[in-house]
Amino acid sequence: MKKASEKRSVDMQIISDWIEPGSRILDLGCGRGVMLDFLKQKKSVVGIGVDSDPSKILTGVKKGLTVYQGDIEAFLASFPDGFFDRVLCSRTLPELSQPSKIMNEALRVGRRLTIGFVNQGYWKSRFGMLFGGGRLINEVHPYEWHESRPSNPVSIKEFEEYCTKEKISIARKVYLAGDWKTPCHFRSNFFGGYALYDLAR
Amino acid sequence: MNDAEDNVALDELGELGLVSYVDFVSREPFLYESGSEIPGFSLRYETYGHLNEAKSNVVLISHALTADHHCAGINSLQDRKPGWWNNMIGPGKPIDTNRFFVICSNCLGGCQGSTGPTSINPETGRPYQLEFPFVSIRDMVKAQKRLLDHLGVSKLHAVVGGSMGGMQVLQWAIEYPDLVERILPMATTSRQGSQAIAFNEVGRQAIMQDPEWMQGNYKENVGPRVGLAIARMMAHITYLSDKGMDMKFGRRRRSKNSDTNFSFDVDFEVESYLRYQGQSFINRFDANTYLYFTKALDYFDLEGQYGSLEKAFEGLQSKVLVIGFTSDWLFPPEGNREIVLAMLRAGKDASYAEIALDFGHDSFLVESPDLYELVRAFLDSD
Repeated sequence: MKKASEKRSVDMQIISDWIEPGSRILDLGCGRGVMLDFLKQKKSVVGIGVDSDPSKILTGVKKGLTVYQGDIEAFLASFPDGFFDRVLCSRTLPELSQPSKIMNEALRVGRRLTIGFVNQGYWKSRFGMLFGGGRLINEVHPYEWHESRPSNPVSIKEFEEYCTKEKISIARKVYLAGDWKTPCHFRSNFFGGYALYDLAR
Repeated sequence: MNDAEDNVALDELGELGLVSYVDFVSREPFLYESGSEIPGFSLRYETYGHLNEAKSNVVLISHALTADHHCAGINSLQDRKPGWWNNMIGPGKPIDTNRFFVICSNCLGGCQGSTGPTSINPETGRPYQLEFPFVSIRDMVKAQKRLLDHLGVSKLHAVVGGSMGGMQVLQWAIEYPDLVERILPMATTSRQGSQAIAFNEVGRQAIMQDPEWMQGNYKENVGPRVGLAIARMMAHITYLSDKGMDMKFGRRRRSKNSDTNFSFDVDFEVESYLRYQGQSFINRFDANTYLYFTKALDYFDLEGQYGSLEKAFEGLQSKVLVIGFTSDWLFPPEGNREIVLAMLRAGKDASYAEIALDFGHDSFLVESPDLYELVRAFLDSD
C-alpha cells in the first residue's frame, strides 16, 4: 500500500504544480476525492468532483468536498463554455465509454483539460501480453479481467496522434517511468509507465 | 401494549421517549405573499435535545404535506406509533439529539395545532375555512422564522426536509442566507411539475365534489370525509412505486382463498391498505388544509419566481447536499439534480447524492443505512 500511495503522490504533485491557486476545478471520476482534497489544501481550489459510485460520493461528503453523483456526460452538458478553469481527468480516461466526446465537452466547459493515464504501450504491458499472454496488473488497474469494469486502455502514441488529428494542443506533458515517479525522457511510449497532459483548444 | 413492554421500548438506546409540543403565539400581524393579512398566528412545535450556550447546534426539520411537528419520540404511552421521522432523529441517530437541538414546527395553514382554516378568525368569531389566506411555501418559512426569533436562534446548523419539506428547506436558504449554514433537501423539486399539479387537482376535486364539503363551510368532525379519503388514497399511490407495491402487496388477497371472488368488496391486499390509509387520514387531517397545502405545492416555482434557478440561488451561503431517490416518480431524481446543477452554475457549494431504493417518493422516510450515513456525514462536515 505504501508503494501505491507513493506512486499516487507524484502525479498529484505534478497536477498540483500546473494549477493556479484558487482556480475552479472539475474532477471527472473523482473517486474518493483524494486528488480534490489534496488540491483544496495545496492550492485552495474551488473543486467539484463527479462520480457515479454512491460509496465514493459518501466518502466525498464525509471529507466535506463538493461532489456530484451522476453521469459525466450529462453533467458536462449542464455547464456553459469556459465555466471551469480546469477539468481533471485523472485515471478516468480508459473507463469512459466515449472518450472523444467527453474530451471535447471537457475542453468546452474547461479552459484547460488535464489528463493522466497509465500508458498501455509500456514495455511491461507489451511483454506481459507477448510472453505472459495476459494483462498487466497495477495500482490503477488492479483487477483481473473478470473483476474489472470495461476498460479501454490507451498508449502515449495513440493519445498524441489523436490530439494532433483533433488539433488539441498539448501545453505541457510529463512522462513517468514504470515506477510512476522518475521522469522518463527516452522512448516514452516504450519506457513510460504513466503520462500526464495539460491540454487546451 | 402493556406497561412492561412500554418500559422496554423506552429504555432502548436511541429513543427519545416521551416528548411534548409547545404552542408559539405571534401577536404581530402577518402579511402573506398573496397580500392578505392576519392579525397573528400560532405554531405548534416540538424540540428535542439541548440548545448549547452558543446557540449553534440547531437543526430545523421541515415537514411534508401531511406530516406535522411531531417528528420523533412519542407523545403518550398509548401512542401506537412514534413521530414520523423517528428512525432519523434521536439520541445516537443520524440527526443526533445528543448533539443537536432539533426543532420541528407545524406549518402555517396546518391542522395540527397551528393557525389554519379550522382556526377561529378573530374578526368574525367563526373558523376561517376558505377565508383563510392562500399560504405559500415562503409564508410557511417566514412564519417559522418568527418562532426562531422567539427562541433566540440566529444560526441554523442545518435545515433538513423531504418533499414539501424540501421546498421549505430551499426557501430557507434563499430567504435567510446568513442564518442557514447547511441545507439538506431530499426527494423534492424547485418547481412543481405538471404531473404533480395534476395529481393534486384530482385530490382537490375529490374533496370539493363531495357534497359534505359545502364550499368549505363544513362543521367540525364532519365534512368531505369520502372526498378526503379518496384524495389520500390516490396521493398515497404517488408516494410509492410499482415495484415497491408489488413487493409489499403483490396480488395477495384478503381471504385465504385466492380464487376470483367477482366482488366489489375489498379483495386485494392493496385495496385494503389504501382504504385503511384513507380512513386513518380523515381522522387526523382537515380537508381545507389539504386544499391549501396542495395549492402551496402547486404554486411553488423558484424559476418562475426569481427569473431563473441560478438567480434564485444567487445569494445562497449555505453548504448544500441534495438527495434524490431512484424510484421517486413524483419528484424524480432529475428535478433534484437540476437544483444542484443550478446551484453549481451559480457558484455555490452544492453536492448531489442519489439513493437506490424501491419505495418511491416515500423512500426518504424508510430505514436506509445509506441515507443515514449521508445525513450524518453532511451534518458533521465543515
